[in-house]
Amino acid sequence: MSQIYKYLFSGALILPLLFSCSTGSDGKEIDDEVLDPNSSLNTAFDGKIFSIPSPMQTSLLLKSLSIPFNESLMNPTDGLEKYSSEYQQALNLGVYSTDLGYSALYEQNSTCLRYLASVQKLTEKLGLDAAFNKDFMVRFEKNLTNQDSMLVIVSDAFKKADYFLKNSDRKSTSALILTGGWIESMYIASELNIQKPSGKIVERIGEQQLTLASVIDILSEYNDHELNNNLIQDLKDLQFYFEKIEFKYTYREPITDEVNKITTLTHDLEIKIDTDILNQISMKIRTIREQIIS
Amino acid sequence: MKKLLVFSLFIAFSSFSSFSQQDCEQIAKSCASYLDGKKGKTRFISDGQVYTAFLDREKAEFKTTFYGGSTYRIAASAGSKEDYVIFTVLDLDGNILFTNKDQKNAPYWDFKVPRTIPVVISTELDLDLKVSGCAIMLIGFKQ
Repeated sequence: MSQIYKYLFSGALILPLLFSCSTGSDGKEIDDEVLDPNSSLNTAFDGKIFSIPSPMQTSLLLKSLSIPFNESLMNPTDGLEKYSSEYQQALNLGVYSTDLGYSALYEQNSTCLRYLASVQKLTEKLGLDAAFNKDFMVRFEKNLTNQDSMLVIVSDAFKKADYFLKNSDRKSTSALILTGGWIESMYIASELNIQKPSGKIVERIGEQQLTLASVIDILSEYNDHELNNNLIQDLKDLQFYFEKIEFKYTYREPITDEVNKITTLTHDLEIKIDTDILNQISMKIRTIREQIIS
Repeated sequence: MKKLLVFSLFIAFSSFSSFSQQDCEQIAKSCASYLDGKKGKTRFISDGQVYTAFLDREKAEFKTTFYGGSTYRIAASAGSKEDYVIFTVLDLDGNILFTNKDQKNAPYWDFKVPRTIPVVISTELDLDLKVSGCAIMLIGFKQ
């Protein structure tokens, strides 16, 4: 019997080192990183994957439309201390990160630094200091006048934070940050549209139907202690209006340029939103955002 | 002896888990280089998310929206060689808009998007090259 245990012990120790070279079905050599396909240890799958487009893209749209910067739409930084729970901190980190991107794009340097400080405080509280460390701050401040670099630096920091959270089994926190960021971008866009209607902004709001479904899915999937229930219900109420938006999609074959490694999509998509529906959406977004920041 | 068995299995699982994490981290770094312009020529802004899957002969799939007026870059990696991952972009009706399988499993590809489109992105390992392991995908954009 002791012999069996000896073999098991040896096997267990070398199991992670079981990498061998072999040949694929068409004769290609399989890399030595290939794991034993029969090992049950390999059947780990990282659950569902969700994607929420960057809120910065909506800020970029607003700037491209020459819509003036409006600081009054941002979440004031002086109330940050009231966010005491991880739930509030994560949601509002998303909110502040969108505000940071918005002010950075409009080159509002002093506002931008203030929001950067708020983002840093919340990341510290959430244990994300590694992504928003001293090195990040130095790079950010050095590039204050270089808008493109600044956007890359901020996005990379959030990418690091997202990776860290997903790998430390804190996907619920990651989900809340993404949700807060998305709501804030929709709030800014819809309020600016109320102030000065723009067909492009209305279209961008309508384009969020799929993203809203993803936001609801991600909050439902990672709903620790059912903390997200009220927020999910509010978002489902919002979804009721989004489902009334009409889409007319026409497929056309894309054009691929193999030399430059680029594919141009050639489809058509028409979006039709009734004014009453748009008003309902704007009101609902305002209410949800108010609940998040209060 | 039972303790020895439990200990042995614990060591095995811990080593594997630690390897997987290191493996994934290395892959994530390599994948990020496709967005930052070192390997590709253009600088793309990350969407702030890291799409990770531990694949074992399965496909990972997710939906996202490409906004009109932007150019996107999808980058994928699953190890030291560039061609482990097959990724496919489809519209919601299931029409294939692009697959890197037709491009020798190119590790990144750009998409010029004149009009907004919701898409499904499907990722799998090329089973002739790698049958299981960590796969990372990143999405970058520029206006």
